[in-house]
Amino acid sequence: MSQLQARFFTENKKYAIDDVPFSIPAASEVADLSNVINKLLEARIADHKHVEFDFLVRGQFLRSSLASHMDTENISTEEVVEIEYVQKFTAPQPEECIMHDDWISSVEADSEWILTGSYDKTARIWSLEGKAVMTMAGHTDVVKDVAWVKRDGLSSLLLTASLDQTVLLWEWNSEQNKVKARHCCRGHAGSVDTIVVDPSRTKFCSGSWDKMLKIWSAVPTEEEDEVEEPNRPRKKQKTEQLGLTRTPLMTLSGHNEAVSAVLWTDAEELCSASWDHTIRLWDVETGEQKSMLTGSKVFNCISYSPLCRRLASGSTDRHVRLWDPRSKDGSLVLLSLTSHTGWVTAVRWSPSNQHQLVSGSFDNIVKLWDIRSCKAPLYDLAAHEDRVLCADWTDSGLILSGGADNKLYTYRYSAYVSDAGA
Amino acid sequence: MDVELGYSLQPVSLIALLPHAHFLLHSLSPSSCLAMCSQDIRNTVGNIPMEWYKDYPHIGYDLDGKKIFKPIRTKDELDEFLDKMENPDYWRTVHNKMTGTDLRLSDEQVDLVHRLQQGKFGDVNFNEYEPAIDFFSSEVMIHPVTNRPEDKRSFIPSLIEKEKVGKLVHAIKMGWIKPRRPKETAPKYYDLWAQEDLNTVLGRHKMHIPAPKMRLPGHEESYNPPPEYLLTEEEKLAWEQQDPEDRRVSFLPQKYSCLRAVPAFSRFIHERFERCLDLYLCPRQRKMRVNVNPEDLIPKLPKPKDLQPFPTTQSLVYRGHTSLVRSISVSPSGQWLVSGSDDCTVRFWEVSTARCLKTVEVSGAVKSVAWSPNPAPFLYPSPAFTLYSILYMKQVCELGAVEQRAVRPFHCIRISVLCGSQTLLVYICEYRAVRQVTWHGKGDYLACVMPDDNSSLQVVIHQVSKRRTQNPFRKSKGMVQCVSFHPIRPYFFVATQRYVRVYNLIKQELTKKLMANCKWISSMAVHPGGDNVICGSYDCRLAWFDLDLSTKPYKMLRHHKKALRGVAYHKHYPLFASGSDDGSVIVCHGMVYNDLLQNPLIVPVKVLKGHTITHDLGVLDVAFHPSQPWVFSSGADGTVRLFT
Repeated sequence: MSQLQARFFTENKKYAIDDVPFSIPAASEVADLSNVINKLLEARIADHKHVEFDFLVRGQFLRSSLASHMDTENISTEEVVEIEYVQKFTAPQPEECIMHDDWISSVEADSEWILTGSYDKTARIWSLEGKAVMTMAGHTDVVKDVAWVKRDGLSSLLLTASLDQTVLLWEWNSEQNKVKARHCCRGHAGSVDTIVVDPSRTKFCSGSWDKMLKIWSAVPTEEEDEVEEPNRPRKKQKTEQLGLTRTPLMTLSGHNEAVSAVLWTDAEELCSASWDHTIRLWDVETGEQKSMLTGSKVFNCISYSPLCRRLASGSTDRHVRLWDPRSKDGSLVLLSLTSHTGWVTAVRWSPSNQHQLVSGSFDNIVKLWDIRSCKAPLYDLAAHEDRVLCADWTDSGLILSGGADNKLYTYRYSAYVSDAGA
Repeated sequence: MDVELGYSLQPVSLIALLPHAHFLLHSLSPSSCLAMCSQDIRNTVGNIPMEWYKDYPHIGYDLDGKKIFKPIRTKDELDEFLDKMENPDYWRTVHNKMTGTDLRLSDEQVDLVHRLQQGKFGDVNFNEYEPAIDFFSSEVMIHPVTNRPEDKRSFIPSLIEKEKVGKLVHAIKMGWIKPRRPKETAPKYYDLWAQEDLNTVLGRHKMHIPAPKMRLPGHEESYNPPPEYLLTEEEKLAWEQQDPEDRRVSFLPQKYSCLRAVPAFSRFIHERFERCLDLYLCPRQRKMRVNVNPEDLIPKLPKPKDLQPFPTTQSLVYRGHTSLVRSISVSPSGQWLVSGSDDCTVRFWEVSTARCLKTVEVSGAVKSVAWSPNPAPFLYPSPAFTLYSILYMKQVCELGAVEQRAVRPFHCIRISVLCGSQTLLVYICEYRAVRQVTWHGKGDYLACVMPDDNSSLQVVIHQVSKRRTQNPFRKSKGMVQCVSFHPIRPYFFVATQRYVRVYNLIKQELTKKLMANCKWISSMAVHPGGDNVICGSYDCRLAWFDLDLSTKPYKMLRHHKKALRGVAYHKHYPLFASGSDDGSVIVCHGMVYNDLLQNPLIVPVKVLKGHTITHDLGVLDVAFHPSQPWVFSSGADGTVRLFT
């Protein structure tokens, strides 16, 4: 079989061509098909410039020759093949490499600032250009996670969680460049590995090695909460106290092992992943567990995309798995993206594209995925020289990744075709 | 001759003779007067069975109608026998039933009895063979005895016969009588087995072995064989010189001009005979050969694929040590890993990231580290002090220091580790080289091994809460290699070079002695259930003991190529691992069933390689993660590796 009947279509009106079947060589690859489309477009539009296209056959990206792809996907070659083409996503452009003093455990960026937590017990604020703005040293141990709470003009609230079992709520004034620890959230009996702020920006949830999830208020006040433990005060006198002590609003227990990741799927629902091989969904109002997704490996990280309503999880194996959190207990994995060779330690959905996500792994590579191509990622971002520990993707199209090589890399990802992929 | 026999045969005739004998014997002698008196008594009861009078004192009635009383007779069997032996006339004495008396027969009477017995006449003088005159003989005399003429009926045919013949003729005519039997038309010979079912034949001949077939005659046997079959002179000579058994053919091929000229086959009888011998003597025996498929002998083990989860790939490498990592231990929560090395440091690692968070330098090579199994912090009595983790390490010291410090051989140092509240307690023994430390499951006791062949102080047990140290053994039973507490019961396992002794700590006695069947035990681990023990040895073997089963190993695994250095059980998963000098960690599935009847299932599932062999040493210690199916191994290359 050397020729195939194919009909091309696209959703981008700019690049639309006639809806007629073409006979194309079965051995043709993406570049050949792209040339065909460009030729057609040149014939149609006088001032057409060459555009690289990517092709989808029944929702799957074409990554090999057309014939072999259809063979593996069990698509009949007798009929006319419907091929969708989209403008090719350009590779993320590396922008900055921000050096740290120690391993970077966590990163969270917004449109202006980058917040990183490090193993040197500090959290730092950087500008997007890579300029160190602020260092917050207050924890007595490794900072495991950081999060922005909100920004009111020049003053921002941010959170840092640490191995020293506390979460610190900081207030940072970017004008005066002053930082102040407002609250010290005590209550966990193990290292706090993950924190996440709810969509209303008034609460946050923390997950810890003591198997508990705790929900705290993220609103700074001037009062100090009472601490129940009777022998605490003596201890407190010894260690210097940063900020006012705060106690949790609610404690969610149910996990059998350490909680490794937590996120809000919406204002009322919390999702947590744990070392006990489960992802649990919690009702925040009642504090009850709503449902549970069971995997076979320890979960390292999860991410939720409100666009496609899918959970992506990275575990202590090579796969990124996609879940539907709305399905009932014991649901199956929708899809697994396999290309990494080490533990997947960070996943992050694209905030703008429902098909794309980024994953970082212990094999030193950050991969950009399109879930329509689960065998191979769109791009490998192989900049790190050591294990990748964290990754983030901002609304403005900036991908960040930090790792054990003390470097934070930022990549600019042009979101121009966010509509084309729909 | 037996008189009694004769008497018993003919009693009536003898009795009948007796009256005559009485008259013959009348008035013979005065001695027989008594007998004569009794002879007068004649019984009148007649010829009746005399048993009728058996129960009466009398035996009958005399002529006057008086009772005849039985003579008093006291003879019993013995008297009878003595009489028989002693009395010479016993044989001629007869008992008269009618009178109940004994009679001695006279010679005439005896003679008469003899005559009668021989079937002769009673009268001696009677001649039974007197000459007789034969009147009707075959000789025709001139004067016939009768001269009567022949009857008429002897000349005319018999009417009765004619009637009988007529009846037969009529019957034959009517077909009532078949004059002659019809000839049998059935064949005389028939196939005996014609009706037989083929299957029964086959069944009967199941063990049938066909006789060896004779070779069909070929060209050589032909009367006119092709010339190449004819033997040359040398070949003929060689054939004749060969033994008959060695000859290729038993005859000489010969050529004849025509079939007429062929003589009779001289060896015909001989050849038939040999054929019969062949049939008769050929070994008709069916050899039962046991066909064993070698694959059937391999026990049926489940596939490793079905026994997941178990560690399969190397995930993390914990780098930092500069020398051999002798020992590793994982915290009960599974968050931390501690490793002790020959570079005189103890390092704390975060399991999930392979980050070394703390390095503690000590003054000697660290031989053994053990994380306290007590997950909850407990209060240390004397200073108000929270104790999170306790390690033990060994310090090498000069022998000179032993005497000086003998008073207080153990002391402890506290070092703050990790967070402010977590404390490392270091027990330092400046007494002797420590080889191993191990915790009791509750975390209050810890045992420490200081191997020494002669000393009785090889194993000491510390109680942490009371800060007390005791020496459980008074006598040395050989160099102690490693010790372990039973996870549930108060038992204590002590492995010496060849044996594992199980002591009951409460009763303070030896409970069991396990024979390891190997030269030198290197390491030991107790199953969390407590009924199974594995021992690794320096001669490449791993022995699995089932304590309920026997003191001998239940299984010996010889899958390592070099000496084993460390073995470990997983706390929850049915897994155990062994690390060896060949640089590999072998993970096995070791399922222990609650059912006492079911033996443990041991399946090697994975060989994990990663450590480089340094100075002929490979893996030195293995440890499982407390909650995940992950195994850590420490090697001589200064790394700790995590396999998941």
